[in-house]
Amino acid sequence: MSQHPDFKKWQELAEKQMKGKSIDTLNWQTPEGITVKPLYTAEDIEGLDSVNSLPGIAPYVRGPMATMYAGRPWTIRQYAGFSTAKESNAFYHKALAAGQKGLSVAFDLATHRGYDSDHPRVAGDIGKAGVAIDSVEDMKILFDGIPLDKMSVSMTMNGAVIPILAGYIVAAEEQGVSHDQLSGTIQNDILKEYLTRNTYIYPPTPSMRIISDIMTFCSENMPKYNTISISGYHMMEAGANSVLQTAFTLADGVEYVKAALKSGMDIDQFAPRLSFFFGIGMNFFMDIAMLRAARFLWFRLMSEYNPKNPKSSMLRTHCQTSGWSLTEQDPYNNIIRTTLEAMTAVLGGTQSLHTNSFDEAIGLPTDFSARIARNTQIIVQEESQVCNVIDPLGGSYYVESLTNEIIDEAQKIIDEIESLGGMAKAIESGMPKMRIEESAARKQARIDQGKDVIVGVNKYKLTDEKIDFEVREVPSSVRDEQIARLVEIKASRDTKLVEKTLNDIKEAAKNGGNLLAAALPAVRARATVGEISDAMESVFGRFVATTRCISGAYSSEYDANPEAINAIKERTTKFLEAQGRRPRLLVTKMGQDGHDRGFKIIASAYADLGFDVDISPMFQTPAEAAKMAVENDVHVVGASSLAAGHKALIPALIEELKKLGGHDIVVVAGGVIPPGDYDFLFKAGVAAVFGPGTPIPDSAGRTLALLEEKFLS
Amino acid sequence: MLITAQDYVLGILAGDRLTLARTITLIESILPIHQQLAREIVDTLLPHTGKSVRVGITGVPGAGKSTYIESFGTMLTQKGHNVAVLAIDPSSTRSGGSILGDKTRMEKLAVNEKAFIRPSPSSGTLGGVGRKTRETMLVCEAAGYDVVIIETVGVGQSETTVASMVDFFLVLMIAGAGDELQGIKKGVLEVADAIVINKSDGDNIHRTKLAQREYETALHMLMPASANWSPPVLTCSSLFSTGIEEIWQTIIKHRDAFTESGEFEQKRKEQALEWMNFLVEDGLRSWFYLNPEVKKLLPDLKSAIALQKLSPTAAADKLLSLLIQVSG
Repeated sequence: MSQHPDFKKWQELAEKQMKGKSIDTLNWQTPEGITVKPLYTAEDIEGLDSVNSLPGIAPYVRGPMATMYAGRPWTIRQYAGFSTAKESNAFYHKALAAGQKGLSVAFDLATHRGYDSDHPRVAGDIGKAGVAIDSVEDMKILFDGIPLDKMSVSMTMNGAVIPILAGYIVAAEEQGVSHDQLSGTIQNDILKEYLTRNTYIYPPTPSMRIISDIMTFCSENMPKYNTISISGYHMMEAGANSVLQTAFTLADGVEYVKAALKSGMDIDQFAPRLSFFFGIGMNFFMDIAMLRAARFLWFRLMSEYNPKNPKSSMLRTHCQTSGWSLTEQDPYNNIIRTTLEAMTAVLGGTQSLHTNSFDEAIGLPTDFSARIARNTQIIVQEESQVCNVIDPLGGSYYVESLTNEIIDEAQKIIDEIESLGGMAKAIESGMPKMRIEESAARKQARIDQGKDVIVGVNKYKLTDEKIDFEVREVPSSVRDEQIARLVEIKASRDTKLVEKTLNDIKEAAKNGGNLLAAALPAVRARATVGEISDAMESVFGRFVATTRCISGAYSSEYDANPEAINAIKERTTKFLEAQGRRPRLLVTKMGQDGHDRGFKIIASAYADLGFDVDISPMFQTPAEAAKMAVENDVHVVGASSLAAGHKALIPALIEELKKLGGHDIVVVAGGVIPPGDYDFLFKAGVAAVFGPGTPIPDSAGRTLALLEEKFLS
Repeated sequence: MLITAQDYVLGILAGDRLTLARTITLIESILPIHQQLAREIVDTLLPHTGKSVRVGITGVPGAGKSTYIESFGTMLTQKGHNVAVLAIDPSSTRSGGSILGDKTRMEKLAVNEKAFIRPSPSSGTLGGVGRKTRETMLVCEAAGYDVVIIETVGVGQSETTVASMVDFFLVLMIAGAGDELQGIKKGVLEVADAIVINKSDGDNIHRTKLAQREYETALHMLMPASANWSPPVLTCSSLFSTGIEEIWQTIIKHRDAFTESGEFEQKRKEQALEWMNFLVEDGLRSWFYLNPEVKKLLPDLKSAIALQKLSPTAAADKLLSLLIQVSG
């Protein structure tokens, strides 16, 4: 087939309507670098490999299952966890009673990084961004009254994956559930931690070995358990566009496959238990096409390993709506955003879904906001009648064409990674991280200029923002409760047995025994998460990341309103002339929160605006950040907080600065901070708080005004 | 609030971190009033300077300089030394701002109480790297730091300046793909007191040994600057802290050999003279360019040259004759 016989006629009509302008002016350049036309026709999908397959049959573009939602809808799986195991357990029971089908556990950052709740480094993180788990006793409380032989449990854990998975297995044992009855998923995707989320513990090589150990143990003992969830979600949240998300996620997957094959397993022994996790953003058709393209690409990539079991090359995925797309401003809009994203995931053919709560840019989900979030997808599933037809967009000229474009673009990046020696080597080279950061900086510049519209943030702003709903706060007493329980456990256990089992873990780490198998006796003996992590750390060491930062990406994308940028550049130059140096800013992340997107965009954009920007290492204590601020003699410290640690960490930073004599150093805060906490922070001495979505020229201008007032007047 | 030079001096001698940091800010400032105050402070502190081991470290981007300093500096603090690290960061953007990320690669050393790390942007200030860094080194010595490490990127002009102010100049390399001498200028190798090949770990050990031999051959072809010292080629792994102790021992050996031969004293004297020359040239240059007559005439002369109405020689003569009038 060729051009539609009426195409010329249409083009003439269209150009007439546009008063003579070419229809090419309606083309849209997506962030992925794809040119989207205003109209697609049959011609666009002619001869494409990815068109016209059937669901459940390779290459699985239309879905991994033959009947898809017509047979059984996706699993409603809400990610949750906060405070103590007891509080989280009560929350799970309520959610299950209200229509949720599977559990998904969020752990706090201390647990992720392998620290017990009594460790001084994590004082601000306990129970904040997830539930605090120190030992199997906490794990038993977490799953109290939840039959682990029936409930599929997904756990987001990557760093401290050995003690946590072992804790779950032993908690099940003590419920009388055998290993082979367990079903669910452990995230266990360490590669993306080095790329974006930073909740790793060990260096890459031993971390990859841990993954192989888990795959081996589970393939022998837990056949119904998914041993890895290869995650693109965090890449998207860090700023990756849909092509980057697809390419890097699948390249991670290939790397795990190679590692498992290298450890001696057969492809069909583990590949059917690989699962994926994609993030779904506001670009509706793009992300529908992304899921379809990912299934095609995975099939093609896996075919090279000649699996016999079709499940080995079938991409099954969980999806989550984008937390980053949610705004602090006019937050009820977030319900609508989440609904659209949920539709995207469903039309793309996800196997399970988490829908975000509308208050996630403000605080932790409450019972109320969690109910709305859950109901968002229940309504899509049970009221909208979308489940009745499999892949309803199959054959759409646009969606099929877009699917094919993503396949081609992502394949190019996958090939590039392969030429670098695979994803592990590519990560070492810094390539994927730089691409994601560049993509993030460009996105921020488009938003700040209003090219990408966000209602309530850069368009149709409210003049009077107010919070008329409850905001959940985790009390600092959670830490005391956890410490008390640790003391109790340590007093009542057999110390000799704990020592012996921990030594066995060290031996296994040194001599190549299976680490998950070695951890089980230690967990049974009530060794803690921190102790088991330490035992392995004594052999493997703790990984330290290199923070690289790109410059120029923000200002090269920001071209719509050069006056705003130039005005700030002029002011930084004036500051230099008056003060003898440029305004100097330290951006720091305290606590165990590893989300470094905002922090890096700020560094990169502020440098473009004429600031000298110091970047602190990740995971600082307030005292460490203060030492760096004083030593580098900065004018202002910007503390980024996304994990609810701000009320403890930021006032502590101000105290530490005073101790070192840095009374005149200005402190500003940014990130996910509930507006209700602003006054608390102002009283503690914070000069300004920038919520999510503050355009960079605004925050830079306000920061500069503070400095001008303090140092130039 | 610190007001007088004396306040600064007392603070520095007491080892106060904040005062040291703020003195460095004065040194780096482009304001004449700050520079004046800084000069006063440095002059008063001079009797308390000179007692540190001054080590310069350079290498191509990606050679692992910061990671090396993390490992090297941590070892020195464990030995009881107080370590100051002055990092000259080249990552300035067109706007003049910069991203200073060195400490993210020196996570342990950055929080070490016995260490002081100061990254400095290289652009936007008068006088260049030389003036600022040398004075900063002196105040660090007065504050009690007995090892001062100056880190610079080996792709600009700053490395020879740094070599002329330290006792020991170390060039960090990695075993690269193919051309081992890529990116580093021959001039840098000529001023090296040792070459260290980093990242000698895991499956890279074989390649570093190979590179070691290549550099040894290359160095043999250069005439050593001193009869008492042939620059060795060493290997290390910053990641696993192997070979780091040997490098420190090499620096000590170099110091002992040079002290015994009298070259240590001689080198520092020469450096002081060079320093004076540098200051004179630097002072002349800024005095000249800040002269109102020069400032007025320069743009016209530049465009005249561009339009080929005037030869560069004639333009220079015109400008320099102004100088004679000014001083006469």
